[in-house]
Amino acid sequence: MLPIVLLSVFGIVVLFLGFSKSKNILLPATLLFLLVTLIANFVDWNHQYLYFNDMLWGNNASMVFSGIVLLSAFFVVALTRGFEQEGEAAQPAEYYGIMLFSLVGAIMMISYENLIILFVGVEILSVSIYILTGSDKRNLRSNEAALKYFLMGAFATGIMLFGMALMYGATGSFVISDISEIIGTRAWNEQSQLLYAGLLMLLVGLLFKVSAAPFHFWTPDVYDGAPTIFTAYMSTIVKTAGFAALYRLLAGSLASLQDYWFATLATITVLTLLAGNVTAVYQTSFKRMLAYSSISHAGYLLIALTSLTAKSQSSILFYSLAYSLSTVSAFGVLILVSQQQASNNYDAFNGLAKKNPFLAFVLAVSMLSLAGIPLTAGFMGKLFVFTDAAQKGTIWLLVVAILASAIGIYYYFRVLIAAYFKEGDLATIRIAPFYKVVLIIVTTLTIVLGLFPDLVLQLV
Amino acid sequence: MYSDFGQILLFIIVAIAIIGAILIANKIIRPNLPNEEKLTTYESGEDPVGNANVQFNARFYVVALVFVLFEVELLFLFPWATVFGRPELIAQTNGRWGWFALGEMLIFVGILSLGLAYAWVKGYLDWIRPEPKKPDYALKIPKDLYQKINQKYSTHR
Amino acid sequence: MFSEATAAIPDVIQQVKIQHYIFLATALFVIGIVGVLTRRNAIVIFMSVELMLNSVNLLLITFSAYRSDPAGQVFVFFIMAVAAAEVAVGLAIIVMIYRNTRTIDVGFLNKLKF
Repeated sequence: MLPIVLLSVFGIVVLFLGFSKSKNILLPATLLFLLVTLIANFVDWNHQYLYFNDMLWGNNASMVFSGIVLLSAFFVVALTRGFEQEGEAAQPAEYYGIMLFSLVGAIMMISYENLIILFVGVEILSVSIYILTGSDKRNLRSNEAALKYFLMGAFATGIMLFGMALMYGATGSFVISDISEIIGTRAWNEQSQLLYAGLLMLLVGLLFKVSAAPFHFWTPDVYDGAPTIFTAYMSTIVKTAGFAALYRLLAGSLASLQDYWFATLATITVLTLLAGNVTAVYQTSFKRMLAYSSISHAGYLLIALTSLTAKSQSSILFYSLAYSLSTVSAFGVLILVSQQQASNNYDAFNGLAKKNPFLAFVLAVSMLSLAGIPLTAGFMGKLFVFTDAAQKGTIWLLVVAILASAIGIYYYFRVLIAAYFKEGDLATIRIAPFYKVVLIIVTTLTIVLGLFPDLVLQLV
Repeated sequence: MYSDFGQILLFIIVAIAIIGAILIANKIIRPNLPNEEKLTTYESGEDPVGNANVQFNARFYVVALVFVLFEVELLFLFPWATVFGRPELIAQTNGRWGWFALGEMLIFVGILSLGLAYAWVKGYLDWIRPEPKKPDYALKIPKDLYQKINQKYSTHR
Repeated sequence: MFSEATAAIPDVIQQVKIQHYIFLATALFVIGIVGVLTRRNAIVIFMSVELMLNSVNLLLITFSAYRSDPAGQVFVFFIMAVAAAEVAVGLAIIVMIYRNTRTIDVGFLNKLKF
């Protein structure tokens, strides 16, 4: 509860700080607020809590999920550099304020007990991201991305809501522990038909938000059109919060129906893995490739979700942490390079290693982690996810996933080949000290988590 | 026999029939002498100008958006009002319930008014934003002469 | 359906079967979906989405009334408030695009492709 209240208050404070004369205060203030919230997030450590008339629920796992979201938000905000590059039209105070508000939605999605809170959380997060996507007002690509995301997102919200309403009709409650109880008292073929329809529509709505195939068509366009910094923001935070919400829904209230939704979700998993990885191969733009890569990572996370073993939650948690860290550093490098080259394509990275060995190294670690090469966090994440699938005994799913990650190695390494082996005239890129520190921290965390994954896993 | 909803259907049919009968009777009885004035759109005596779907000033739009938001947020006052004045709740808590509920709503409205204040300070509520254009021709008359005249007559107001 | 809870429901409500409401809400919802999928004007698409949300409201109110459970009505309040926020943001995005391109035809937006 505390982080939600704090973030709301801090968001308003940041909005009004924008009126002060000194524009440089915004970035440090936002970072400070995020740190305070990150600490306040763990106040209830080792207590299971229920707040607001049993509307919010939390335990250690949900606190760690919120921690991941806050931490990745902290890193992304640190990479904004106060929006100095965006020129006069930029409204840094509003961007920071909206980012803080959107985190409220993310935390509500992670720790909901009542479906009302899930809906409100999803909407707070999505509406904030619609605004951030369209924040580059004069840029037609940004406009188009915002409109597409908005129309499709609102559509998905409508479907999700209809699903919630049907589930309410079938069970008479929005509280997920009550729903679980009511479902548990009947056999699967005695359930109300409304429940199944509702469950499917609710899943469609949530899967849209995490960009799982076949609901992924907005992802590349929106990720490509949005300003790069906000692409980094949404690809990390929406995904983590969305999967926490999906896990909470499936494990908290629908675990007894696993036989029913398993086939559907497994099909979606396979589709997501194939659609993400195969299409990513054909991209020429690094930014667009990262969008498809985010779809494919949704696929890996879905494997853990589909299996739903006792360890699924910790695998999802670790995987989303590893994914968030690598994505933040990949986008961090992309922002610098694309500013220099005025292009997001692979060619822009040609000869990066010659003059900018540091950036090339950060990029290399991040790509290795995303591809799942040993000694990085991404490898351990994939290992845990695959172990879940093996425990559940779905070997065919495992085979598809391993094939998909083999494809993944190809497109992740393309940018590394461009950076290390191709000739290019990329000049030395000046990196602000603070920016550099953030990149160092993220890269170090990626490697450390790859070597000692227990650091995070023992928390849950 | 018909049910309660049958009555409603009957009501609808009768309503349509009566109005239709009146209109048809009208059509038959009235003299038909159209002229230019009669055929124009009725705008309370004003001469209609231009097309009906003209572009509105963008300012209407911002104010309308702000209005929609605040109007709908007030929706939450209704459920609150039903529990605010409950005598049994007030009696149970020794009168603290009323203050607690009032405080909660003040926080809610306070946050809303902070949003309004933000829009206000940003200048979205100014109906006409004056943007005076400086004339670019050189004036022969010195500026302080105008000021003197202004000062002289400003005391009269 | 809902036989266990019908005792608490006023007779006036029970005169119309719950199925009618479910069919009506579903019909409205489907009209909304078809509107989203077939129309090319951003504002009309947007209105269709609102129609979908309102059909959900109708459904929630129905279940709420037939179960004598206020939770559904509370949800409707939240949907209405959130929909208003969505309207504000959505219209702002549409106006932003109109100012740049002088059109709100979604087919015109094709800068982003594979």
